[in-house]
Amino acid sequence: MTINIILLIAMTIATLWTVMGRSLLKATLGLAVTSVVISVLMFRLDSPMAAVFELSVCAGLITIIFVSAISLVKPLTHKEAIVVSKDRMKRFRYLPLLVILFGVIAGFFGIPNDFKPIYVALANDVRTVLWSLRQFDMFGQIVIIIAGALGVVVLFREKEKR
Amino acid sequence: MPSLLVLIPLFGIILLNLPFRRLNEKYVFWFAVFLLSVQILFTISHHSLFWQQGMGYIDSFFKVDFAIDSLSFIMLLCIAIVSMVSLSVSRYTIPDPRERFKFINLLMIAAIGMNGIVITKDLFSLYVFLEITALSSVVLIAFQKDMNALEGAFKYLILSSIATIMMLFSIALILLVSPGTSFAVIAAALKESPNSAVIIFAMGIFICGLFIKGGLVPFHGWLPDAYTAAPSAVSILLAGIVTKVCGIYTAIRVIAFVFGFNEVIKSLFMFIGLFSILIGALAALGQKDLKRLLAYSSISQVGYIILGFGTGTALGMAGAVFHIFNHAVFKSLLFVNAAAVEKRIGSSDLDRMGGLSYRMPITGSTSVIGVLSTCGIPPLAGFWSKLVIIIALWQSGHYMYGTIAVLASILTLAYLLLMQRKAFFGKLPKELENLKDLKEVGPEFTLPSIILAMITISVGVFFPFVFDKFVVPIKSIFMQ
Amino acid sequence: MLTNVLLLPITVPTAAALLILMLPKKFRAAIDAISLFGSFLILLLSILLFKRNLSYSMPALGFGIEFSLRLYHFSGFIVLAAAFFVFLITLYSNAFLREKSYSKQFYVYLLLSLAFINGAVLSDNLVSMLFFWEGMLITLFGMIYIGGKRSFKTATKAFIIAGVGDLCLMLGVAICFYISGTLAISKLHIPISGIGGAAFILLMMGAIAKAGSMPFHTWIPDAAIDAPLPFMAIVPASFEKLLGIYFLSRISLDIFEMSPDSWASMTLMIIGSITIVFAVSMALIQKNYKRLLSYHAISQVGYMILGIGTLVPAGIVGGLFHMINNVMYKSCLFLTGGAVEKQAGTTDLEKLGGLKKYMPVTFICYVITAASISGVPPFNGFFSKELVCEGALERGFIFYLAAIIGAFLTAASFLKLGHAAFLDKSKNGKLPIKEAPIRMLIPMIAIAALCVLFGVWNSLPLKLFIQPILGQERLGGRDFSGMPHNSLLVVITIMVLLGALLNHRYGVKKHGSGLKAAEHIHHAPVLSYIFNKAENGYFDPYNIGLNISYGFSKVAFLFDRAIDWVYNVFIIKVSKVFTAAARSLNDGSYKSYIIWSLLATGAVVIFLIKSMIGA
Repeated sequence: MTINIILLIAMTIATLWTVMGRSLLKATLGLAVTSVVISVLMFRLDSPMAAVFELSVCAGLITIIFVSAISLVKPLTHKEAIVVSKDRMKRFRYLPLLVILFGVIAGFFGIPNDFKPIYVALANDVRTVLWSLRQFDMFGQIVIIIAGALGVVVLFREKEKR
Repeated sequence: MPSLLVLIPLFGIILLNLPFRRLNEKYVFWFAVFLLSVQILFTISHHSLFWQQGMGYIDSFFKVDFAIDSLSFIMLLCIAIVSMVSLSVSRYTIPDPRERFKFINLLMIAAIGMNGIVITKDLFSLYVFLEITALSSVVLIAFQKDMNALEGAFKYLILSSIATIMMLFSIALILLVSPGTSFAVIAAALKESPNSAVIIFAMGIFICGLFIKGGLVPFHGWLPDAYTAAPSAVSILLAGIVTKVCGIYTAIRVIAFVFGFNEVIKSLFMFIGLFSILIGALAALGQKDLKRLLAYSSISQVGYIILGFGTGTALGMAGAVFHIFNHAVFKSLLFVNAAAVEKRIGSSDLDRMGGLSYRMPITGSTSVIGVLSTCGIPPLAGFWSKLVIIIALWQSGHYMYGTIAVLASILTLAYLLLMQRKAFFGKLPKELENLKDLKEVGPEFTLPSIILAMITISVGVFFPFVFDKFVVPIKSIFMQ
Repeated sequence: MLTNVLLLPITVPTAAALLILMLPKKFRAAIDAISLFGSFLILLLSILLFKRNLSYSMPALGFGIEFSLRLYHFSGFIVLAAAFFVFLITLYSNAFLREKSYSKQFYVYLLLSLAFINGAVLSDNLVSMLFFWEGMLITLFGMIYIGGKRSFKTATKAFIIAGVGDLCLMLGVAICFYISGTLAISKLHIPISGIGGAAFILLMMGAIAKAGSMPFHTWIPDAAIDAPLPFMAIVPASFEKLLGIYFLSRISLDIFEMSPDSWASMTLMIIGSITIVFAVSMALIQKNYKRLLSYHAISQVGYMILGIGTLVPAGIVGGLFHMINNVMYKSCLFLTGGAVEKQAGTTDLEKLGGLKKYMPVTFICYVITAASISGVPPFNGFFSKELVCEGALERGFIFYLAAIIGAFLTAASFLKLGHAAFLDKSKNGKLPIKEAPIRMLIPMIAIAALCVLFGVWNSLPLKLFIQPILGQERLGGRDFSGMPHNSLLVVITIMVLLGALLNHRYGVKKHGSGLKAAEHIHHAPVLSYIFNKAENGYFDPYNIGLNISYGFSKVAFLFDRAIDWVYNVFIIKVSKVFTAAARSLNDGSYKSYIIWSLLATGAVVIFLIKSMIGA
């Protein structure tokens, strides 16, 4: 139990690092770390397949996509960078306030634990779920991938100069 | 058979995107037209074999049975009609055939998404198809890559993602108590589980996600910017059907069949509905941009739908669904006319318009019909659906809501007549008099607007027939 | 036979009208052909439908508002009559409107009016009947408006007067619903006392406004000049009479329980008598062919109202028979007027004359129909008038007197008209006038022949059309066909007609021409003053109403200014505030949108949890 709590705290820190990080690359790294922590948590919660998916897709594939996209972007000049970094932390001035507020509300209502969750039968591992139970969603995934590809083509293709 | 509605467009897109693209640019348009007309035809005839027959292998492959009831029929009809209109308008507003090819592909994907939303019986599939629709809509908004459009698309993306996160989160929480994700299973599980705060939190989050998608106040921030900035054909699609299917239909389906109605949810919906009506109408009063005005008007009309739905009576819900249909028709009509005007004048700034109905008579007169229907003037269709909603409000004892809804109709009348007067009546401003091609637009605009106007008129005039054939079955769904 | 076939009398004319509407004006031949063919189709349909009993209904809105139609002998008869006349008028208009630019719109309005009148007559539900009744307002306005630039005022006047009648009708319908709880016409049977009486008065006013009796009549003479002539032949002459008298008889016979001694019957008879006398007096002094005819149309309605108001079998049969007779000869008279207008170029009696030589067929039709309307035996008008007189005499001598005076003046004015237009020496140089084209002659000849037929063989219309409406019990087993029973009345009538003829000759001798034959009545001491004022619209309720409203508006002007300020200044300021607020909220920054959404989400969730946990 304690390890889970440590992992959750680590995840939160990684998330905060992602959001508040100074450069985009550092933020991407933070995202990757977050995904790694989440996959460890999943592994601990007895879903190895989901953990593997999380690791390979989020921590791996998406990080690579982000990094390659960022490397295509023109970096800020030194002057612009100074301007941006001056006000950077100002955005987060309300964050501690929100945390305290949330804590107060949670304390007021109490973290609810008055229900009995059902545990889905563990016999259904990912393979059965994906290919026997959720085929319609797989179909949907195919459509999304095509839509994504189309989107990239539409938005990022330069107009051909004749 | 209903699964074909999502399968065939997909295979069509794959086929048409194969290497021999040069040949396919023309075919894709007609393919889309064919698909959509088939959809229209089949939804009008309820009892055709199309719906009854399973397709054996394909259905067993999917293992998800589809919930095709009268509610889905009307939504499928709306989807097909609005997509057709958007398709037709795009013929003119996107002149480059290659661009149009991409547009039609994206349109078909959006159609797949929306068809999937209305026919599915499973909460997670709903989420998947919602994502499809959202993604394709974002790309569509940004289609012509001008600054405004990119900004609008980005806002829509962000807010829509927040909405989907909320919905996904809610599904995850619900999975704590439910063994599966299909509607029936979740409904049963929710009935059994005690009233715990976590489940209520999940429901609340889900509903708010839907509100964001549907563009209700105060979750509507993205809507005016996205509608205004999007290219004309996409605005028609968004205003006519995307917001409604993603937000409103999903809300109706989920609340009525999964979460269950109770007094609290009803009063929430009615309050948000009324709030949207008023804020939308008040904000529309002072708008100077035609499309922005129409966007706020859409917010207002969606408020009516939610208000009708929130009464909880079968009549109210039937009225709400009927208003969805009517709104799809007359809002698309108004947006088509706005697109036509924008094409001819080059801007949609109301202050620079005037007296357009002399040069563009068809646009002007169909716009009048659209305006009258939106305000709820008999005998057009909008009158009947508003009447049913107000009668339902009255019958369920919410007199104050009913009165305010009626008074809000006056507001609607005010801003729409103002728009009509500024844009179409009055005198032609000097700078426009010299525009040589300020004449009526071609059939790509006029044909859809005339057809939509005829639909509004005939649904209104033949209301008893429509009532029998369409509204009563919807009522009976909700009465269980 | 499927009951859906009942929808055809409404949908077929509408479809034809829409078809014509979509054709461009240039396709004149096609437009003519479609309208002719369409009206012929409807005529066939009505013949097929006649004599059957069918009903069709479709629920519309709940609260008892249904869209239900009922075909029985009375409604079938009206549908048949309407279709027949539309067919004839269409044939006539194909020739008459040949050079006019508004022919396409005319046909559209005509066919739509036919659809509406069929719908109104067939309706078995008061609200759906109201719907169709109101629809005729629009076609009424349209048909007058297309007549020319000046006709806008007349069209507005007609619209307002008809609108007032319709308003009364609506109120009456509302009261009926309140009393009896149902809107199905065939089920209503309301006693006259108390609030039922108010309902009766309102419905009656609606019916007689439509029929064109006094005091709702003042638009008709104006329309006679301003509107296209076929409009006059079909709308005031036939449609309005058919629909108005149909509804009046439904009110008197079915919807309300009226007995001959009730005050309602007295009211109807008084209105009828006044209308007869005053309208025909106005007709006498007219100097325009069409205006003269229009006043007669008003006067003849008086006979119908009087007849139905007597509530005795003779009177009712007479009134209904008079309705169909009047439709026939009045439209034929208007058609002759149209023929004159087209061939001679004017309908001003001071410029016409001597047309008998050049338009003999028209002249003969005129003679036949003028004789019918004056009540000369053996034409149809004679028989219906006799029945009305018999009924009126049964109820009171003064009503009979009014009918007789009406007959006298009618005959006098038609003698004057015929003499001035056809017999006198021609007053203008336009000598070579030809007879009207064959397409205009055929309807006139057909109707004139029918007038003769319905007169000589009057048991045909009586047994086939009229008497079944009352049913055997109300008739008391009597049959009204054949010669009138009361020979004394016949003698008096013939004496009155001879008196009119003598009066005419006296007038001609005194003043020198047919036109001036009635001048001695015109300039009789008290009468001339009244005539003068009447011609200037002094007694026109519409004008009186307008004047009152002008005066009222002067007082309300200041009040109006205040309201103007509220709308123009105040509301705009308020809306500016709201728009500015909306604009500042929707400032384009998606971060603020997100914040608003999340705050609202939080509020919603907290609200939900709070409310549902307690439950």
